[in-house]
Amino acid sequence: MEKYEISLVGVGGQGILTAAELLAKCAMLDGHNVRVGEIHGMAQRGGIVQSSVRIGKDVYGPIISEGMADLIIGFEPVEAMRGLSFASEKTIVLLNEHIVYPTVVSMGKAKYPDMDYIKSSIKKFTSKLYSFNAMDLALEAGAAITMNLVLLGAAFKIGNIGLNKESMESIITSTFPERFKKTNLKAFNLGYDYFK
Amino acid sequence: MINKLAKPKNILKGSQGDKLLLLGNEAIARGVLEAGVGVATTYPGTPSSEIADTLSGMASEAGYYFEYSANEKVAVEVAGSAAVAKIRSFVSMKHVGLNVAADPFMTLAYVGVRAGMIILSADDPSMWSSQNEQDNRYYSLLSGMPMVEAANPQEAKDFILDAYDFSEKIEMPILFRTTTRLNHTRAPVTLGPRRPIETIGDFIKEPGRFVPVPSVARKRHLVVLENLKKAEELSYKTNFNKTFGEGSIGIITSGVGFNYTMEAIKLLDLDAEVLKLGMTNPLPKDLISDFLKRHKKIFIVEELEPYLELNVRSLAKDVAPTVEIFGKYTGHIPRYYELNTRKVLEGLSSAFHLEIPFNFKKVDELYSSISSELPPRPPVLCAGCPHRATFYEIKKATFNKGIYPSDIGCYTLAIQDPLHMADILFCMGSSVSTAAGLSKVTDKTVVAAIGDSTFFHTGIPALVSAVYNKHHFTLAILDNRTTAMTGHQPHPGIGITGMHEQGEKIDIESVVKGIGVKNVVKINPFKVRESINAIRAATRTEGVSVVISEAPCALVDVAEKRKKGEKITPYVVVPELCIGCKICIDQLGCPAIYWNESTVKAEVDITQCTGCSVCAQICPKDAFKLKED
Repeated sequence: MEKYEISLVGVGGQGILTAAELLAKCAMLDGHNVRVGEIHGMAQRGGIVQSSVRIGKDVYGPIISEGMADLIIGFEPVEAMRGLSFASEKTIVLLNEHIVYPTVVSMGKAKYPDMDYIKSSIKKFTSKLYSFNAMDLALEAGAAITMNLVLLGAAFKIGNIGLNKESMESIITSTFPERFKKTNLKAFNLGYDYFK
Repeated sequence: MINKLAKPKNILKGSQGDKLLLLGNEAIARGVLEAGVGVATTYPGTPSSEIADTLSGMASEAGYYFEYSANEKVAVEVAGSAAVAKIRSFVSMKHVGLNVAADPFMTLAYVGVRAGMIILSADDPSMWSSQNEQDNRYYSLLSGMPMVEAANPQEAKDFILDAYDFSEKIEMPILFRTTTRLNHTRAPVTLGPRRPIETIGDFIKEPGRFVPVPSVARKRHLVVLENLKKAEELSYKTNFNKTFGEGSIGIITSGVGFNYTMEAIKLLDLDAEVLKLGMTNPLPKDLISDFLKRHKKIFIVEELEPYLELNVRSLAKDVAPTVEIFGKYTGHIPRYYELNTRKVLEGLSSAFHLEIPFNFKKVDELYSSISSELPPRPPVLCAGCPHRATFYEIKKATFNKGIYPSDIGCYTLAIQDPLHMADILFCMGSSVSTAAGLSKVTDKTVVAAIGDSTFFHTGIPALVSAVYNKHHFTLAILDNRTTAMTGHQPHPGIGITGMHEQGEKIDIESVVKGIGVKNVVKINPFKVRESINAIRAATRTEGVSVVISEAPCALVDVAEKRKKGEKITPYVVVPELCIGCKICIDQLGCPAIYWNESTVKAEVDITQCTGCSVCAQICPKDAFKLKED
């Protein structure tokens, strides 16, 4: 693989850093070079989380340049929109429709854009938009906390990432404690099977 | 209370040849382990924190000593003296931590060490979690202490080992300078063998070297200069400085700048020779001179200050006066914020008239057409955070007419709407001293806020000074029983050490009383009315008064309750009682309370609410009730 760049965008507490780490471990298992970019500290307190996974032999650093992402996994609609700085016509966007309101919105001091507007904004950049509610599937799998695995599963289906699904399943199996294994694999496969 | 993120088992147990996905900071910690370091110290600070947390997690099993020191100055002195006594030592801190440690840092360069020592400074270009983006490479120049920079986690681990050997050859500590995108990048790292750890040293007295009275210092300054010469000669025999590729254009870079350079020349399909400097003080003048002579055009890629550029330009004047140099002085690379591949692409493109194979402008224009309408999402105090309660109470107690100096920690987030409770901040500990200055020159009520860990870090000397000089203000010590912002490290007030053992617990109230503060009161910030009264009384007493607001960090509290299986009962709004006055929303800004446009009433997000009850106490209609099963 020369280069495949994934941007994961959302808010603190959605399991973004874990998802990025799983992707990178999977890439390593499949024999690829990889870099993960993440930001810790003050930037994390209830704020925006943007992580990146860059796979391939031409990759040196962790940062994706504007417009260069092959895949954007939007864990939250407004954050997916904010993450469009990484998008261009080649980009595939996976949009989770589950909303986490920013404090300014919950205080009634700003408006949250409606879903149609968000989708049409994404379509200004790329026609390759896949959207669904990953939270519904996470709850179906048995725990809201598995939403990140639902998104990973869907990303594996629609993203042409070039990594093996079996590798990811074995990474999921080996990363989490035994008692979460079944739920996590179920979440991953619910996400994988959602888009035909 | 120990950082739950640190799971260093694989880093400790991993053997030679194992390939792991490691955070840059974890790779550095592994390097410290492989180097057989006997003493490691720190004061936590982003982006350096995980180095120390990983080291703390491994210390007792690996058999070296680790401590969270009260501040960076102490950390450097503890580790520095260990290295004088022939034990390899390591200190890590964020860039501004080196300001605190600058005093021993400068003198350590003079007196030197007898075993390897590394002082790691993690700089934060773009200020992801910092109050400035100072370039600490100048500390190396200032002190004469040699400096090493790495580009990726693997190299960081390997350079740590090389830097220890180097340090021992010249008997000087090494400044290991990183930037955020090294510390917080995950990458594959192949582990190496571990040197045996030695922890019992031998202090051989040599006051003519280690006690820098003026007569000694005069001699030692000459030794520093001699060592720098020796270090440059030695550097030619190391792996620190390398060249890559070939071409008529020469690019000089260091640290993570190398990554963006390699990606940019690949995208541009540019033939260029890259000189990657791993030792950036002393600079390898012969190597750079040859490089300058080989190329007509030189491009310099470095984050923040034009440190390399200044030195290369001055060297070029003598050895290659006709070479054309591009960089920050020519406006091709910005002097602020972190770099990325795009910035290097655009710099190279504009310097050498090359076409970038991607239309960034189109993407930018499209993005600016949608991004201005997005609601912002700044970091906020968590739901149930005791700081929110304390700030609400300080505001009420002073009728929002005071001046509110702040300090470094989560509580700086009180700057946000709707609290607006941070008025002035310089650095760690400055809340106390700025309160002193402001109370001297204004007639306003001054109430400063400082966290528990920050109080121990640099708040204490400032408080001593304020009491001694008869200043008049109130200091609120927000004791949430942890160092929250940097990842929940322990501190002297917790009494758990970096070895994960029970240590002495330093009681804040006793310290404050011992300093001579006469009006000291402890509050539970979750009792709103009582707290407001106590704070108001404190502000009305003469001299320095201290309010200790004691309640655990909500993140730690909730995690511990969950672990123990304790139930967390959230509040809910009874719609019939809520009159939509918005007092809860407009005065607290708790992320668990939101405004329902259609019902025109407040509601609680029960997945976030910790049941702290502050909203229930301030609601004029008693509309918040504990959720029933």
